[in-house]
Amino acid sequence: MDDKPHKAHRPAQAGGKVDKKEKGKGKEKSHGFNEKAFAPTSGHNANRLGRRAAEKDQTRLHVPLVNRTPDDLPPPIIVAIVGPPGVGKSTLLGSLVRRYTKRSVNGGLKGPETFEFLTILQTHGFPKVIGILTHLDLIRSPSTLRLTKKSLKKRFWTEIHPGAKLFYLSGVLNGRYPDTEILNLSRFIGVMKFRPLVFRNTHPYIYVDRLQDLTPPELIRTSHSKCDRRISVYGYVRGTNWRGQGQKVHIPGVGDLLVESIEKMVDPVPIIEKGGDEEKRRRMSEKRKLVVHAPMSDLGGVSFDKDAVYVNVKGSFTRREGEEVEEGEGEKMVMDLQEAGMTLDDAVKQTKIRLFGSSEKPLAVGGNDDDDDEPSSADEVEDDFASVDDEGESSGSEAELDTLNEVQSDPRNTGRSQPRRPARSLPQAESTGKGLDFDSDSGDSDENEDEDAEEGFIVNDDDDDENYIEEEEDDEVEGEDGEDLDMVDEDSDDDRDTVHPKTKHLDSQALSLRRPTRRDWTKDIYSTNLSPEEIVLQHSSSSSSSSSLTAHAQKSNVDVDMDNEDDGFFFKKPSNDTANTLLDSSTTLSDLADKSKPEFSSAELNKWEDEDMLESIRRLFITAVTETTGEDGGGDGAEDDDDDESGGDFVDFEATGGDPSLTSASAPSTAKKIPDPPPISSSSRSALATKKALLKARFDEEYDDPSNSNPSSTFYDQKKAELTTQQSLNATAFASIQDPELRAQLEGYVPGTYVRVVLDGVPGEMVNFFDPEYPLILGGLGAGEGFFPISTSTTSSSQTAPTPSSDLTLLRLRLKRHRFHPRPLKSNDPLILSIGWRRFQTLPIYSLDDHSIRMRMIKYTPDHMHCFATFWGPGMVPGLGVCAFNSVYDGPTSSGGGGNGFRVSATGTLLSLSPGTSSPIVKKLKLTGTPYKVFKNTAFIKGMFGSALEVARFEGAGVRTVSGVRGVVKKAVAGGNMGGKGGDGAFRAAFEDKVLMSDIVFLRAWYTVQPRKFYAPVTSLLLPTISPTISQASSDELPPQTKSTWLGMRLTGTLRRTLNIPTPLQRNSTYTHKSIIEQERTQKKGKFAPLVVPKNLIRELPYKSKPKLIGKQSSQTYLQKRAVVLEPEEKRAVALLQQIRALRKDQVKRRREKKAGKREEKEKREGGKEKAGEEKDKERKKSVMRSVGMKAKREAEAMGGGRQGKRRKVG
Amino acid sequence: MAAGSVIQYSGHKYFRHRLALSILSGKSVRIDKIRSEDKDPGLRDFEVSLLRLLEKVTNGTVIEISATGTAILLKPGIIAGGSLIHDCPLSRSVGYFLEPIIMLAPFAKRPVQLTLRGITTDDNDFSADLMRTVTLPHLQLFGISDGLELRIKKRGAPPGGGGEVQLLCPIVKQVKTLNFVEPGKIKRIRGIAHAVRVNPQFSNRMIEAARSILNRYIPDIYIYSDVYKGEESGKSPGYALSLLAESTTSALFCSEATSKPGVAPEDIALQATRALLSEISKGGCIDQKHQSLVLLLMVLGSEDVGRCRMSQPTPRTIQFLRDVRDFFGTSFQIVSIEDPTNPNSADLLYSCYGTGHVNANRDLA
Repeated sequence: MDDKPHKAHRPAQAGGKVDKKEKGKGKEKSHGFNEKAFAPTSGHNANRLGRRAAEKDQTRLHVPLVNRTPDDLPPPIIVAIVGPPGVGKSTLLGSLVRRYTKRSVNGGLKGPETFEFLTILQTHGFPKVIGILTHLDLIRSPSTLRLTKKSLKKRFWTEIHPGAKLFYLSGVLNGRYPDTEILNLSRFIGVMKFRPLVFRNTHPYIYVDRLQDLTPPELIRTSHSKCDRRISVYGYVRGTNWRGQGQKVHIPGVGDLLVESIEKMVDPVPIIEKGGDEEKRRRMSEKRKLVVHAPMSDLGGVSFDKDAVYVNVKGSFTRREGEEVEEGEGEKMVMDLQEAGMTLDDAVKQTKIRLFGSSEKPLAVGGNDDDDDEPSSADEVEDDFASVDDEGESSGSEAELDTLNEVQSDPRNTGRSQPRRPARSLPQAESTGKGLDFDSDSGDSDENEDEDAEEGFIVNDDDDDENYIEEEEDDEVEGEDGEDLDMVDEDSDDDRDTVHPKTKHLDSQALSLRRPTRRDWTKDIYSTNLSPEEIVLQHSSSSSSSSSLTAHAQKSNVDVDMDNEDDGFFFKKPSNDTANTLLDSSTTLSDLADKSKPEFSSAELNKWEDEDMLESIRRLFITAVTETTGEDGGGDGAEDDDDDESGGDFVDFEATGGDPSLTSASAPSTAKKIPDPPPISSSSRSALATKKALLKARFDEEYDDPSNSNPSSTFYDQKKAELTTQQSLNATAFASIQDPELRAQLEGYVPGTYVRVVLDGVPGEMVNFFDPEYPLILGGLGAGEGFFPISTSTTSSSQTAPTPSSDLTLLRLRLKRHRFHPRPLKSNDPLILSIGWRRFQTLPIYSLDDHSIRMRMIKYTPDHMHCFATFWGPGMVPGLGVCAFNSVYDGPTSSGGGGNGFRVSATGTLLSLSPGTSSPIVKKLKLTGTPYKVFKNTAFIKGMFGSALEVARFEGAGVRTVSGVRGVVKKAVAGGNMGGKGGDGAFRAAFEDKVLMSDIVFLRAWYTVQPRKFYAPVTSLLLPTISPTISQASSDELPPQTKSTWLGMRLTGTLRRTLNIPTPLQRNSTYTHKSIIEQERTQKKGKFAPLVVPKNLIRELPYKSKPKLIGKQSSQTYLQKRAVVLEPEEKRAVALLQQIRALRKDQVKRRREKKAGKREEKEKREGGKEKAGEEKDKERKKSVMRSVGMKAKREAEAMGGGRQGKRRKVG
Repeated sequence: MAAGSVIQYSGHKYFRHRLALSILSGKSVRIDKIRSEDKDPGLRDFEVSLLRLLEKVTNGTVIEISATGTAILLKPGIIAGGSLIHDCPLSRSVGYFLEPIIMLAPFAKRPVQLTLRGITTDDNDFSADLMRTVTLPHLQLFGISDGLELRIKKRGAPPGGGGEVQLLCPIVKQVKTLNFVEPGKIKRIRGIAHAVRVNPQFSNRMIEAARSILNRYIPDIYIYSDVYKGEESGKSPGYALSLLAESTTSALFCSEATSKPGVAPEDIALQATRALLSEISKGGCIDQKHQSLVLLLMVLGSEDVGRCRMSQPTPRTIQFLRDVRDFFGTSFQIVSIEDPTNPNSADLLYSCYGTGHVNANRDLA
C-alpha cells in the first residue's frame, strides 16, 4: 500500500477558489499586508493584546551572560553519568564509547545519588542535564509504560526545568543499548548548547587528564614515600583564562597549592576542520576513530609528555605474519620501531641535510660545529649584559629571554637557533652595563621593526635594505665591543657616537624619510631593570630624534638636532644623577617625591610663547575641523602630497573618525613618505579602494535597513550587542602577538588550551593513594579569595609571613535545613560546607535577625525557615551557593545524615565576609538579684554582681522586677565587702514604684558570641581508596578512613555516643517531678506571707469571687460524736429490717441475671434471622440490577458501537 | 613570589599607590629603607597620617612600623568605608590623601563619606578643584557615577590650611571595561580661579590672562571666579587657577598653578595656561596625571580586554605598571598608534586583560 506513489496535487481549474484568485489578481500584493485583519476590535482587546505581547517578549529574555569559552577552539565537554547503583550507567558509558570509538569497554563508575546530585547542582549552578530512562523494557504493559514515562517526565521537569530533555532507552542488546538510540543520544550531546555558569565564568579550572610524579626517586625512597612531591598534571583549561604567573589553585580534596609553572602542550585531540563553512567541532575523523585519548584509563595506550612519548601495549609486541590485527596507535608505533633497518645516527650520516638553502656544507654529525668555536657577536653581547647587570634577582633570566627572542626572530644572524648559556662572567662596572644595554635595546627596536614588517605593514623595499645594512653594521660594532673585555664608560659612549654618524652617513635623505624607530615600551617596562626615569629619558630621546623628522617642526632642524645632542648629553648622566638624588634625600624635594602633579620646566612652558608652537596644536581643537583641508595643507607640508593623490573624499573619511582598528591597519601607507612613486600609488590606491568599499558598505547598510544600523533598540539588545563587540575585541586584541610566552603573560591561557601544570609541595599521600576513579580538578582561585598553602615548607621562612589562621575571615551564610534532613542542626556542631571549589569543615553559629536590631543566636536551626550561619573560613566572593553536610560518610558509623542515603543537610547562599574579630551575634543574658532593703522608690539589690567594679560597668542600665516594676542601676554600695549586708557587688537602684522584698530583680543584657576559629579542608583525596586491613582495634577507635569515608571532626552527639559520655544536664534546666515541686512549695511556705484579703473587700465581692475561706471541718459534729444506746426491742427491729433488705437485694440480683440470659438468647435468635433477610435482599437487588444492565446494553448496541459498552464498564 | 608571602619594596617613593594596590589585591606589602640614608630618617608625618587614614577606612588592617620608622609592613583587611573624618597634616594637601582613597572607595563595604580637613590647594598634589572636575569624571568612565561627589566646604591655602572637603563615593560590584581610543577634539575649556583672603580682583586678573591665550583656539571658554569669604576661606591667603579642556569624546586635560609669593596673578595664569597647552599637545585620551588611576581601574575590570589611548607614560606610571604586575600579575601591552589624522602623534595604546576583580566586601543582603 505504501509503495504506491501519491497522487500529485492538481490545482483547481474552476470554482470558488479560482474566482477568489481571479478577484485578487487585480490588487497588487495586498496579500498578507492587511493590517486591518489583525487589528484588535476594541480598546480593551488592544490593551490585552499589547500586554500579552509584552509578556511574551519578556519571557524570552535572560540576563545576558558572556560565554568565556571561545567558540572556535573550545575545550572538550565533560559528560558525567550519574545515577544510583544498577541503573545502567556503565552500560550507557560502554554504549557511548562503542559509538564513538568502535570499542567495547567494561568499566566501573561511582558517583552520588540522584537527589543529592540535584541538590548539589541547584546550589552550585545548574549544568545541562539530560535524563535517561533505562529498564523500560521491564514494564510489560504498554499502558503502564506510557503512564510511567509520563509521571517520570513530570517529576523530571519539576526537578530540572520544564521541557528538559528526557531519553528513553529500550532494552539491552549484547550488553549495550540499541545503537540507533545511542546514536540519537550522541547527536544530541554533540549539538548541545550551554548557558555559561556564573562560577565557571569567573574561575579557570583544569580537569586533570594525567598526573606525573616529578620528585626524584631517591628522595621518595629515603623519606619512605612521605616527602612532599613535585608533580605535573595535564588537562584542558576551562572556564576563564588561566593566568600564567602565580595562579593560585585549590584542588578539591587536597588543598591550596601555588602553580609553579605552566606551559602549553599539543592538543591530544586536535580539532579537525571539516569544510570551510561547517563549524569547527572537536571530533575525530573516521580514520582516527581507532585512536582514543582516554586518560586515566587503559584505553588509548599512548600518552605524550613534554619530552617523551609513552606507549602502553597489552599482550605481545611482535607482529604476526599474515594477520592483520586491529591495533592501537601505541602498538603500531612499537612494532614499527622493531622494523627499523638502521639507527637514527646512521640515517643522519647518510643523508645530506643543509640547514639553509644557501649553506654549502651539509650538516655534519659528531664533528665540530661552527657554533662552538665562533660565537655570534650579538649573542656574546647579550650574554655579557646578562652577566653584568645583576642588580635585580631576575635580570639574568630576563636578559636570556631577550637573547632568545632576538636570536630566534632574526634569521639573518647565523645558523644557530638555540641560545647558549654564558659560561663566564665579566666583572664590569654597572655603568658599562647600562651603556651596553642601551645598544642592545636599540637592536631590539630594529628587530621589532622587522617584525612589524613581517606582520604585514607595508614597508618599502629600499627602506628595508637600508635597515639591514645598518643593522649589520650595528652588529659588527657590538661584536667588537663584546670582545673588548676592558670596556669602560667612555668607550661605550664612543661606540654610540660612532654608530650614529655612520648611519647618518649612509644616506641622509633616506634617514630623513625613514619611519622613526619606535622603542618597545612593553619590553622596556616589564623586562628591563631600568629605573622609570631612565626609560622615559631614553624614549624621549628617541622620540625627539624622530620628531625631528616630523613635518611641523622641520623649520628649525638645526635647533632640534642640538636638542637631540643635549638629550644625549643628558642621557649619559642619569646613573650619576639618580645616585645623587638618592644620596641627598634630605632635601625637601625628595620628601615630596610622591607627588602627582608634574612639574613643568620653565623651558617647556616658555616654548608656548612662540606663535608657531601655539598654532601647531590648533588641529586638536574642534575649531580646526571645518577647515581641515586648508589647515593640513598649510601645516603639514609632507601630508600635502598624499592628500593631493588620494583626493578629498578620503580625507573626509579620516576626519570624521572611522573605526580605529580599520584606520590603524591602513595607517602605515599614509604615514610613510616613500620616494618611489609607482609602488606607493598602487598601494595607496588599493588602500583607498578598500576604504571606499567599506564606506559604501556602511552606507548601503544604513540606507537599506534603518533598523539594522541601530540594533540597540531595547536595553536588552543593547547589552547583548555590547557583549558581542567586547568578545570580538577580546579575541582579536592580542591575536597578533606571535610570541606565545608574551601572549600568555598578557592574557593567560585561553580556555581550550591543553596545558601541563607543575605543582610543588603536593602531599605525598595524594600521589601514593591516587585513584583515577576520583576526579582531580585544579580550581583557579580569584584575587579576593583566601589562600592557605598546604605545606608551610614552600612558603618563605620570613617570620612576618601571615599564618593561615590570621587569614581566616568571618563569613555569613543564609542557610536552610534541607527538608530531607531528619534533625535540626546544632550551633557549634561541625558542619562540612561546599562553597565554590572548597569543601571544608567548620563550626558555624546559627542566628536569626531580631527586629533588624541584633543578630540573635539560636541553638538549633529553625524548621522550614532560613537562618544565618556565621563561621570562620577562607575569603570568598559573596553570592556563591553553599551545600552543607553533617558528614560526607553515610555509613554505619556515620554521625550525620538520616542513613537514608541523603547526606545534604542544608543549602544556602554566601552573604558577606568581614575580617577582624567583630562578631555581630549575641545571645540573651539575664542577671538576677534580690532586694535586701527597700525604701519607698529605692531598693538595695544584692546577688546580681560580683564586685563594685562590675556594678560600675552597668551604671544606668535598666532593671525590672518579676512583677513588672522598672528601675535603673544607680551606684554600688560603698564598702559592700566590708561586711555590708548585701556583700560585694550590692548596689542601689531606683524604681518607679516600691518593690517588694520578695521580688526578683533582673537585668536583661546581650552577650556577644564568637564563633570558634576552626577550618579544616576536606582532604579526602589524601586517603586510600580501600581501607587497609583493620588491626585489632577497640570499639572506641575510629575505623580507618578511605576516600569515600572522610570523617573529620565528629558531631557532639556522635562523640558522646561513642565515648559514652552522658549529656551534661544542669539542674536548673530541668523540670522536676510534681511531688518535688509540691514539697518545695510547702517548704517555702513559711517564706511567703499568706494572702490576706481585707474583710471589707470580701464583703463587697460577689459570691463567686469571694475567697472560699472555710476549710474542711476538722472536729466531729454532734451527730458524729454522740453515743446511741438501743433498747432490746429496737435492736430486734433493726435486725429484722436488715434481713429484709438483704433478701430483697438477693432477689433483685437473681432477677437481673435471668433477664440478661433471656435477652442474649433472643438476640442470638433474631440476629440469624436478620442476616438471612439481608442476604435475600441483596440477591434480589442484584438480579434487578442485572436485568437493568442487560437492558441498557441492548439499547446501547442498538444505538451502535461497543464504545458505549466500554464506558459503562468503566463507570 | 609565593603567595601568602609579602611583596617587598624599598624606598619612600611611590608609597601611596603601593599601599592602595596592597589593600585592593589583599597581598601584604613590606616597604623598607624609607629615607634610611636621610638626616631625618623614616616616615614623614603625612605618610603616617595616610597610614592612619587607611586604618580608618579599612577593617582588619594590620600596620607595623619598625622602631626607626624606616620600614613598614601592611597586612590588608577589607575596605569598610562609611562615614569618616580625618585631619590632614599641613605638610601635604588633601589631594595627597584623596588619591589613594579614590582608588579604594568604589570597592568598599559601605559607601564612603570621608571628610578631610587641611590644605585644599597646593603645589604638590591635585587641588580639590581638579579632583572634583577631572579625577572624579575619570571614574565615571568605569561606571562609578551615581552619588559620586566631592564637596569643597571650605578652602584652605598653605601654610595655614583650614579647608574642608567631603568625598562621597558609591560602591560598585565590578567596574566596567574601558575602551577609550578616540581622543576627539577639544570642544570646550573650563576653569576655576579662586582667591581666598586676598583681593577678589586677583581671580579676575587671572581669568583675563588665561583668556588672552586660550581665546585664539576656541570660543567656548568659561572660567569661574570662585571667591570664598569669612570662615570658609581658611586660614591663609592664596589664589590659584585650575583649567580643564574637554574633548568631543569627553577626554579631559587639566592643569593648575597656585600663587607664589612675589609672582603676579597674570603670571600664575600664564603658567597654568601653558601647562594646559602642554598637556593637550601630548595627546591621548587621558591626562598624564591620571594615567595610573585609569590603568588601575582597567586592571580591575571584568575579564575582558580593555583599551585606552594615552600619551607616553610618566616615570610614576611606569613604576605603577610594574607594581601592578607584582600585585595582580597583569601586564599591559603598550603599542604605538598609527593615527591617520596625525601621523606624528606619539600616542600609545595600552591594552590589558582585566583581572575580573569583584568587590568581595560588598554585602549581598
